[in-house]
Amino acid sequence: MDHIRAQARRSPLFVWFAKHGAIWPVIGLLALWQLACLAGLVPPRLLPSPAAVALRLAHDLLDPGFLFHIGQTLIRLFSGFFLALALGLCLGIAMAQGAEPFLTPLVRVASPIPKIALYPALVLLLGFGHASKIALVVADAVFPLMLATLHGLRSVPPKLVWAAQAAGASRSTVVLTVKLPSALGPILTGCRIALVIACLNVFLAEMISSSDGLGHLLVTAARSYQVVDMFVPLVLISLIGLLLNASLQFARRRLPIAS
Amino acid sequence: MKQGPPRFSALRQVWRRNWRTVLACAALLLIWQAAALWLKREELPSAWETLRDVPVILSSGEDVLGILASLRRMALGFGLGLLVAVPLGLAMGRSKPLARLLNPLTALAYPIPKAALMPIIMLWLGIGDLSKVLVIFMGVSLPLLYHSSQGAEQVDDKLIWSAQAMGMGQVARLLRVILPAALPEVMLGCRVAVSIALITMISSEMIARQNGAGNLLFNAMDMAIYTDVYAVILIIAVIGVVLDVLMERLRVALTHWADTLQPGSTS
Amino acid sequence: MPKSLIEIAGLSKRFEVPGRGAHLALTDIDLSVREGEFVSLLGPSGCGKSTLLYMVGGFVAPSSGEIRVSGKPVREPGPDRGPVFQEFALFPWKTVLQNVMYGLTVQKVPAQEAKQRAEALLRKVGLADYAGFYPKQLSGGMRQRVAIARTLAYEPRILLMDEPFGALDAHTRTTLQNELLDIWERDRKTVLFVTHGVDEAVYLSDRVVVMSGSPGRVLRVADIDLPRPRVRTQLLTDPRYQQYVLELEALLDHARAPETTE
Repeated sequence: MDHIRAQARRSPLFVWFAKHGAIWPVIGLLALWQLACLAGLVPPRLLPSPAAVALRLAHDLLDPGFLFHIGQTLIRLFSGFFLALALGLCLGIAMAQGAEPFLTPLVRVASPIPKIALYPALVLLLGFGHASKIALVVADAVFPLMLATLHGLRSVPPKLVWAAQAAGASRSTVVLTVKLPSALGPILTGCRIALVIACLNVFLAEMISSSDGLGHLLVTAARSYQVVDMFVPLVLISLIGLLLNASLQFARRRLPIAS
Repeated sequence: MKQGPPRFSALRQVWRRNWRTVLACAALLLIWQAAALWLKREELPSAWETLRDVPVILSSGEDVLGILASLRRMALGFGLGLLVAVPLGLAMGRSKPLARLLNPLTALAYPIPKAALMPIIMLWLGIGDLSKVLVIFMGVSLPLLYHSSQGAEQVDDKLIWSAQAMGMGQVARLLRVILPAALPEVMLGCRVAVSIALITMISSEMIARQNGAGNLLFNAMDMAIYTDVYAVILIIAVIGVVLDVLMERLRVALTHWADTLQPGSTS
Repeated sequence: MPKSLIEIAGLSKRFEVPGRGAHLALTDIDLSVREGEFVSLLGPSGCGKSTLLYMVGGFVAPSSGEIRVSGKPVREPGPDRGPVFQEFALFPWKTVLQNVMYGLTVQKVPAQEAKQRAEALLRKVGLADYAGFYPKQLSGGMRQRVAIARTLAYEPRILLMDEPFGALDAHTRTTLQNELLDIWERDRKTVLFVTHGVDEAVYLSDRVVVMSGSPGRVLRVADIDLPRPRVRTQLLTDPRYQQYVLELEALLDHARAPETTE
């Protein structure tokens, strides 16, 4: 019996579970939830069991129609994010090079405005499809990216810049080869925030006004009181957000950049 | 220097500190106006038309009541959040097991827009105010939990030991030692929470349309009344700015004693 | 008489400290350095020796006075004056080889040639096997060797070294001092070396410029008349070496004491 236990302890799965203790509260909650459903404490029409949701999720992931909706959400998410990244980098660099006194007041005015309120105007201007949602993501995600870039560029150790200048690098070369790589850490943190903002905005926009996407699936299911189908998109967007967040954290740790 | 009547010198001070922001607003409005005139599209009314529409909306009693109802729901949700999430967050900051229990659960909730829970919550609680307040409460809880736990974690252990030595019970320690010491961070959390409360309020009202600012906005979009859409956006924007300014004032007033005044996201 | 490579005349530097007005870091500095000389700037912390070095490097602008290198006034950093910093200042996202190649890549040397030259330099400093490593995987002494190799790569006429061995333990420090002298003996570059260690200054230099506390000034310039190549074991028992060290120590103690004369 002991040697079995010792073998189990060495198995990679066990090691992984032990290291990632964060998973236990989640499993605990799911277990409680499942037990409550089995015990009949919760009406299944109001709160489906985790098992039911998991089954429906597995079934949906094999359905190309469903995958299409996931695809639509992901397209908007990533397009919006990358556009916001490009714009945020440019604006952040501009701010570091002297545009800050002009841009900071604009940022200060724009920040307390809930960007989701702009969505109806964007729909009227850009239609019900991808464009309005991508524009919404850009409007919201550009701010953390811009500020992260600025912060990163401002925190470059000056001796690194001097070492590059002495080697003969021009101003733009210094920005490209020293300042931006040095700012990568804070920029990645900004990307994490921006990706979550993208998830939130795309999902909400698809709930408010859309013909496809995960958010749209939720409201459609709501109209026909299909609770299980309402939970599936929520679980999915949560998993997508977590996955993106974890990948960036992983990337930040693995990259040879100063902490 | 000539001393004008007190009201003018106060105004002058406000101007001196914020003239850049005022200029930025004016610039934005001008760009908007120019873009609208140049594009000449019906869907983009000019800034001037929109500004003229704002008093029209505000003169409609029904609409104003709706906006006030929205604000009331926000306040209720935010207040609930303060009562529940702040103490819980402070406790999390001092208790590693509690933090390890709750952190993964909040991480799961983070990428879900709380307003997206409206359809499910409406199944349970119906269409009234309660579901919206609950959703707003959930929305503000995350930043309040996070910042309160950060603030509590950073409280100097020695302060707590002194309190223990004085015989203070756990709850008393939480409220009378940890909360004041963690207040700067908690107030930062409040600032974030206010903007999230606004976002959650607007989006929940666009999803579950009953009355309120979000409802107004959605209706205007649905009926393609272009000036109304932009006018409501302006009203919401002003509400957002005012709330942020007020919260920031409150934060500074309550925590000016802190060594390092953290400027928050965009000060 | 060989013409001076570095000419410093009437140099001073004033820093604006927020809330405390102006701080005079350096005043009245006159100094000439000949080509191929190894000159140390010796002084207590805060005497402005690093600031002086940075001004020669073109990283900091003087408040008054002038610095000329090869007759031309110094306005900005350039590959004729290569720095080596105490904190190494290696690019953490680049490998050892990529760090050393940096100056060559910037000057548009073709990749193949840059790689070969960098590898040769790494062999010179004994780190050929670590070409693919990242700085954070190396010890302090190894990082400083990479930093030196990186600067040598673009073949500066002048080496500006700011307490390069200050962050290292004593044993590594002596090892690197010897390696530095070996490298230096080969091409006899001009070196300006900042340090607060008297024995280090005497061991390495042809001349030692002793500086006093704030505001920084030149107290004395001492010629170190010891034979080269310098062998540590011989030098430690050489009475002339000991005499230099004692004299300069005494001068340094005087420099550390608060100034009583203007």
